[in-house]
Amino acid sequence: MMLNNVYIKLLGTIVMSIGLMVILFLSSEEQVHRNNAFIRRFPPHPVIKEYDIDLGFNSYYVAGLGKDMVYLGNSTAPLHLLKINLATRDTAHVKLKLSNTDLPFKNVHVQVQPPFFFVLDGSIPYIFRGSTNNWVAGPWMRNEAYFTKSLVLDSNRIYIKTMQNDTRTVTLGLLEKRDHFSVELHPEILQRQIDGVFDVDGIMLTTPDKTRLGYVYFYRNQFMTMDSRLKTLKRQQTIDTVKKARIEIAQLDRSKTSKMKSPPLVVNTKATMYKNFMFIASDRLGKNENREILKVASIIDVYNWSDATYRYSFYLYHMGKEKVHGFSVNDGRLVALIDNALSVYNFREGFVDHTPYGEQENITGQ
Amino acid sequence: MYSVKNIKAKGVIVELICFLYVLLFVYAATSKLMDFEQFRVQLGQSPILTAYANWVAWLVPLAEYMLAILLSMKSTRYKALFMTLGLMTMFTTYIILVLNFSDYIPCSCGGVLEDLGWTEHIVFNLFFWVLSIIAILQLTNYSTRKPISI
Repeated sequence: MMLNNVYIKLLGTIVMSIGLMVILFLSSEEQVHRNNAFIRRFPPHPVIKEYDIDLGFNSYYVAGLGKDMVYLGNSTAPLHLLKINLATRDTAHVKLKLSNTDLPFKNVHVQVQPPFFFVLDGSIPYIFRGSTNNWVAGPWMRNEAYFTKSLVLDSNRIYIKTMQNDTRTVTLGLLEKRDHFSVELHPEILQRQIDGVFDVDGIMLTTPDKTRLGYVYFYRNQFMTMDSRLKTLKRQQTIDTVKKARIEIAQLDRSKTSKMKSPPLVVNTKATMYKNFMFIASDRLGKNENREILKVASIIDVYNWSDATYRYSFYLYHMGKEKVHGFSVNDGRLVALIDNALSVYNFREGFVDHTPYGEQENITGQ
Repeated sequence: MYSVKNIKAKGVIVELICFLYVLLFVYAATSKLMDFEQFRVQLGQSPILTAYANWVAWLVPLAEYMLAILLSMKSTRYKALFMTLGLMTMFTTYIILVLNFSDYIPCSCGGVLEDLGWTEHIVFNLFFWVLSIIAILQLTNYSTRKPISI
C-alpha cells in the first residue's frame, strides 16, 4: 500500500515538474516572439567575421552589394567609387564621369546596380545614368521631380521619398521612366504622428532582388514592408516600446520651416533587408543587457517580416570608438562599415537561409 | 525479512545520496551567486527562460540552498527528496527542451559544470535523478518495514 502510494507520488512529482517546465517554455517563447516585452535574444555567433579591409577613410557608404562585389561610394568625393571583390579581396578605384558637372550639386549619391549605375541629387533635381562598363553617365532625369532620398530598383524605376506639395508632409513614391516620366505617390504608407515631416523620417530599404521594399522609422518602434509597386503594405512592431515619436518641433513661422527643439529619441538607427529578414541597428537597451556594450558594439535586431516575428539579435563590434555607420546583407554575407574599415562577416547556417521568401523557394526547387 | 545490518546499509545509502545532493546544491548555488550578474544575463539569453530571467535567477540558487538544508535534516528529508526529484526533473526537461525545441542552443547554461557538454549534462542529471528516486524508495522501504523488522 505504502509502496504504491510512493510510486504515485513519484510519478506525480515528475509529471508536474515536466509540465511546469513546458508551460514556462511555451509562455516565454510567446512573450519573446510576439509581445513587446523588449527582451533580446542573443544566440551564439550568428555572424562570423571573415576579414577587414582598411579603406583609409570613414566617408564611404555602400552604393551596391552584389553576390561577390561591393561598391562603395564616398560622400566627400562623390565621383569616386571603390569596387571590392569580396571573394578575392581585390580592390579597384573607379572614377565616375558625368556628362555635365556644371550643376548646383548639394546631396549627390551614387548607386550601382550592374549593368547600370546612377548618380542622383534630388535637390536639383537631377539623375544621371551610365553603364558600369565605362563608368560614364549622362542625364536620365532632369527637373521632373524633387526628392529627398532615393533607392534605385531597376534601370527605369526609383523608390523615392519626397515632400507632398498639398499636404506639406513627407511621402513615399515611385519615379518611373517609360515613354515619359511618371511619379506615383503613396501617402498611405507613412503615418503622421506630429508634423508628418520629422516624425516620419526613416530609412528606405529594398531586398537585393528588389522584390520587397521597406521603410524603417527612426523615432518609433515600427517598420513597413511593401511589394515592388509599394502595394501589399505590412506593418510590424519592433521589440522596442516607443510607439509614439518623442521629438519636439519648433515652428519657425516666418520662413515656414520647422526645426527639432531637442535631440530626438532614436529608436532605429540603421537598417537593411535580405530575403524575408529585416535587420535593424538600435542603440536602445533591453532587459538583461549591460550598458557598457553600447560603447564597444552596435546591436542588430533581426525580424522576419513575412511571419511578423522577432528572430534574434547580435552584436557588431567596433574597431575603435566609432559606431557601425553602414551595413548591408546579401548572399549570406554581411558587410559593415566600421571606422575606416569594411568588415566582412558570414552568417552561420540557419540564421538567414532556412526561411526563404516566396518565389525564391520555387527557384531552389523546394 | 530485513536484517538489522541490511537496514543500516540502506540507511547509509540514503545518507550518502543526501550528502552528494547537499554537496551538489551548495556548490551549484554558490557558483551561481559568485558570478550572479553573469548567471542572470546567461539565463536571460537562454531561449526558454528569457522572459522570466530576473526571478528565476534568484529562485534557483535560493531553492538549491534551501534543499541542501532540508536534505541534511532527518525530519524534513523525505519531503526534500521529492522536491529534489522535482527540481532535477525540471533541470533535465529544460535541457531536453533547449536541445530539441529551441531556435538555437546557448553557449552554456551557466554556473554549474560549465565544461560539460549537453549530452554529458543530461547523463549527469539523469544519474542524480535516479539517485533521488532510489533514496525516496529506500526511505519509504526503510520507514514502512521498520516497525516489522525491529
